Amino acid sequence: MTKDAKPLIRVEDLCKQFHELTVLKHITEEIREGEVVSIIGPSGGGKSTFLRCLNLLEQPTSGKVFFQGVEITDQKIDVDRHRQKMGMVFQHFNVFPHLTVLQNITLAPTLERGLSKAQAEEEALVLLERVGLSDKRDEYPRKLSGGQKQRLAIVRALAMKPDVMLFDEPTSALDPEMVKDVLKVIQDLALSGMTIVNVTHEMGFARELSDRVLFMDGGIIAEQGTPQEIFGNPQNPRTIDFLSKVL
Amino acid sequence: MLLVEQMIKIWTKYSTVFLSGLAGTLWISAVTVFFGTLLGVLLALLPLSKIKGFHALYKGYIGLLRGTPILLQLYFFWIWLPKALPIELTNTQCVIVALVVNSSAYVAEVIRAGIQAVDYGQTEAAKSLGLSNKNMMIYIIMPQAVKNILPALGNEFINMIKQTSLASVFFVSELTTSFKTVQSTTFLAIPPLVISGVIYLVVITLLSKLVNTFEGRLRACD
Repeated sequence: MTKDAKPLIRVEDLCKQFHELTVLKHITEEIREGEVVSIIGPSGGGKSTFLRCLNLLEQPTSGKVFFQGVEITDQKIDVDRHRQKMGMVFQHFNVFPHLTVLQNITLAPTLERGLSKAQAEEEALVLLERVGLSDKRDEYPRKLSGGQKQRLAIVRALAMKPDVMLFDEPTSALDPEMVKDVLKVIQDLALSGMTIVNVTHEMGFARELSDRVLFMDGGIIAEQGTPQEIFGNPQNPRTIDFLSKVL
Repeated sequence: MLLVEQMIKIWTKYSTVFLSGLAGTLWISAVTVFFGTLLGVLLALLPLSKIKGFHALYKGYIGLLRGTPILLQLYFFWIWLPKALPIELTNTQCVIVALVVNSSAYVAEVIRAGIQAVDYGQTEAAKSLGLSNKNMMIYIIMPQAVKNILPALGNEFINMIKQTSLASVFFVSELTTSFKTVQSTTFLAIPPLVISGVIYLVVITLLSKLVNTFEGRLRACD
């Protein structure tokens, strides 16, 4: 990642309210191409809501979100098309239980990328090989472990050939022995140059892998910097307090 | 033993009355199930729409039909429909319309609840992959909702069959009316009542079995 890389996602004065509760307060931020950004912070600090506003799974109350220079918060624009380029992985996997592993991956590419079934399957098999799930291609998700489901969810998103991957606490719902496999996949992805925004509680992972760490608390980005700055020499008292509790 | 003797006597003499009554019940049930389901499915689409007015319309329709007694609704259609339409209507037609309208509300609710019971994470996953709303409904939500809907719908069908007995209030030819007919000819109440009851029981038990088998098969391929 170079410092002068183009911004891929830009957020301007983003606010999100749920009824009386203000979750995000006037956030302005950029994610640059090829950047790996980790978002850390206490629960209820707005991390997940911020991430979900990036692909408009949450509709911001006010403010603008730009993706590849296009304002996707514009009501007139077809947001589905832009979402295809923003892969997302959820804490609870959300794999499709009624489809086989292979169908989970090929569904969106055949419907929305116009691939033939054969092409989509060919691509899917390459992806499955990459995450070590080739032998599970015809299984239904109920036969998979949590870690396998999450790896499936990752390649399902990758099959749309996204320009950015959004991870919403991808390992929080996993048994400890499964965490490593999933982190390995995300790490490989980061090393391959994918732009990644990762909401995480895995501090070691954030520290090793990120180009930049955002600390969110109380609906704002309270502090940000390189992993060395945030973990080695935090400035904000809230960051210091948080890190002292989790490290 | 007197009851059994009387039942046998009545059955030998009036079996055609009961059987034609059964035919009426089955016919009315089939029509109600078919059109009630069709109308119910269409209604269930209303709350999925982005148009706010449709939600209110749906809520009003469901609230009204589930909040008033079905017998009252039958009377309403029986009195109002012939006045409202320029064509001649038989009692049977009025009653069927009422049954269809009533059951459509229950079917719509079964479908709506079945769709709503699909984990919201599925919607989010589909959206995040960039699926259009239409594709999401067809390929992700409905296939999962169907497994919630079908068993409940089976029970709804059984309810519909039992409710057709209300048509006897308007002397529409069906199984409960058969009981009334035989009672007024023979001046015996209990034996024809039991005969009608047994026929209902056999039909509904068979259908329940069918619904259960179907339900089991759905669960097997889950």
